Amino acid sequence: MTLRYEAFRRENRAGTVVIQPPAGLWSLDLPEVWRYRELLYVLVMRELKVRYKQAAIGALWALVQPVVAVAIFAVIFGYFAKMPSAGVPYVVFAFAAVLPWTYFAEALRRSSTGLIGDAELIRKIYFPRLLTPLALVIAPLAEFAAGFCVLLALLAWFHLAPGPGVILLPLFLLVAMLLALSLALWLAPISVRYRDVGHALPFLIQVWLYASPVAYPESLVPQRWRALYDLNPMVGVISGFRWALLGSGRPDLQAMGVSGAVIAVLLVGGVVFFRKMERSFADVI
Amino acid sequence: MPTSSEGRGDLAICAEGLGKAYVKAAGGARGDTLRDGLSAALAKLGRAEPRAARSRFWALQDASFQIRHGENVGVLGLNGAGKSTLLKLLSRVTAPTTGRATINGRLGSLLEVGTGFHGELTGRENIFLYGSILGMRWAEVARKLDEIVAFAGVEEFVDTPVKRYSSGMYVRLAFSVAAHLDPDVLLLDEVLSVGDLPFQRKCMAFAKDLQNRHATILFVSHNMFSIKTMCERVLYLKKGRIVFDGPTNAGIELYEADGQLEAAGWAAPELVDPSVRILDVEIADQTRCPRSVFDHGERLRLRFDYEAKAPIRGANFVVVFIRSDEVACCCYSTELDGLSLDLEPGVNRLELGTPPLALVADVYRIEILVREAGFQKLLCAQSGGSFHVRDPLLDTHFGVFHEPGTWATNEVVHLARPKIQSRGAEL
Repeated sequence: MTLRYEAFRRENRAGTVVIQPPAGLWSLDLPEVWRYRELLYVLVMRELKVRYKQAAIGALWALVQPVVAVAIFAVIFGYFAKMPSAGVPYVVFAFAAVLPWTYFAEALRRSSTGLIGDAELIRKIYFPRLLTPLALVIAPLAEFAAGFCVLLALLAWFHLAPGPGVILLPLFLLVAMLLALSLALWLAPISVRYRDVGHALPFLIQVWLYASPVAYPESLVPQRWRALYDLNPMVGVISGFRWALLGSGRPDLQAMGVSGAVIAVLLVGGVVFFRKMERSFADVI
Repeated sequence: MPTSSEGRGDLAICAEGLGKAYVKAAGGARGDTLRDGLSAALAKLGRAEPRAARSRFWALQDASFQIRHGENVGVLGLNGAGKSTLLKLLSRVTAPTTGRATINGRLGSLLEVGTGFHGELTGRENIFLYGSILGMRWAEVARKLDEIVAFAGVEEFVDTPVKRYSSGMYVRLAFSVAAHLDPDVLLLDEVLSVGDLPFQRKCMAFAKDLQNRHATILFVSHNMFSIKTMCERVLYLKKGRIVFDGPTNAGIELYEADGQLEAAGWAAPELVDPSVRILDVEIADQTRCPRSVFDHGERLRLRFDYEAKAPIRGANFVVVFIRSDEVACCCYSTELDGLSLDLEPGVNRLELGTPPLALVADVYRIEILVREAGFQKLLCAQSGGSFHVRDPLLDTHFGVFHEPGTWATNEVVHLARPKIQSRGAEL
């Protein structure tokens, strides 16, 4: 009786695992990542819980970064430099951009360097390593949500109402998320081998900030540079946010198309690269 | 159950020519920064260095074996023999360089207890975290939560961050989660040697229970005692190759023969400059006839050849018998026995005769230490061979040693009468 139950149980559970040397570029086994979806959820929750544990003001810290950034921009660009802000108060104008930007920068930074934090785990236990960067681009969404509430309050304060374009907001956010993920899939395996990534990334992010229309409207960019400027997918994301929330300008569909193609290529290549490299993470981390 | 592939379906683990090579960068530097990597890559472009020229180190080579469902197999080997590499390959932590292995059934691995834990999270949160990492379903963890907590004995602290746990509680909770994974194939790496004694017993009982439920266990340990109690078969690894695959006792004998005169691992930090070296140990009986199995109550005669590198005044030789579960049972010391040794440089011999052995039946490892007078500075610490004590009855259940006592039965003591008090009154 017991034996029959055992056989039944065994048949109905994880079947055969084959262990062999890494073969070919295309042995991606993405369904495996899906089977581990619950672990993804747990890793996201861990990231959120751990980040603000034992901090007196806890999750309020999530708001400090965007609020301080907006305050600095408002004083320097809005008050001193009298930066044009598309007919809305500069504070709102900046906040609508700082929000997706902060999300993107955090997601990119954490997911590109997060594997090192899980080094102990990676050396000892198997799980699809893809989950770590994946969890780390998802977790900052919570902080984004908190900031979004502040933004809504700000809009109400200035008696501004977002237009119907607001339903496209998740799409722009998704673009920012996929961009961060696609880059992290390239950077994370390199960071496992070379810690240089962790040092170089803050500079890259800072340069990128000024190459994106966060503190200024993209109309300030000279026309002859526009083609090059539009290659930056964050231009599309940020102008999309401003358009959806403030009704200023309109999304440049051509630029969005170009960024979409760039991200798709980076993402597919990144998944292949990551799945190939992850087999050796435990040896080099 | 499909019967067409009965022969193969019966196997829990099937490894064919499994191997793992690590690349050793030329010149010893392991290029850890991007600059090193880039300059190495450029240098390679320039000189077109052939791949084979990079020196490779085979941590495991050509490992082939088959383990049936329900079998418990111990893995033996000295440090660096490839035991951990084997488990890492089977648990998929790292990918093999050559060969192939298939594992049928749910795989659980306990390569190090508690690595999935996060100090800031509470016990409950960590149970879910660690459980998911080990491959348990969310609902399954939730269902077994109470059981896990009770097994670990941390009921009162489930909602306390684990960084506030004692190390014992930490380890118990981690093992408890892993134990409730309920795997078909379990890989265990030295984990049963953690925690206090009652908990170790619990772990052993748990492993036994898994055995009864027909699970397959692959078990790495330096503890011959647990290997013997748990496994009927062992793989013995030596320098990355499986040199023996068969019955436990034969494997342990081979392992112990190879393990003679190894430097004692624990002494490494203390032993800065080993100025005495043990060259040979001979275990013999009273008639100086070499033997390795003794009956309870027999005398042992140990002979050491040692080499001193410098003259040492008042050296103290200490011989320790260590049982297979790492309990140091007794020791003999030249200093305690009133012998003061002045060592001259060169090779010398020392003999120790023991009293009749009171030790219970088990395997004992011999450790030889040389210290300066007054149990000061350590000059030498080596493991030197082992011997068995045989007895039909007396085993570890009877304690560490057994000696006859003297008993008396002619005086009857009545506990009910307070005799002491009346004596006090007389005073």
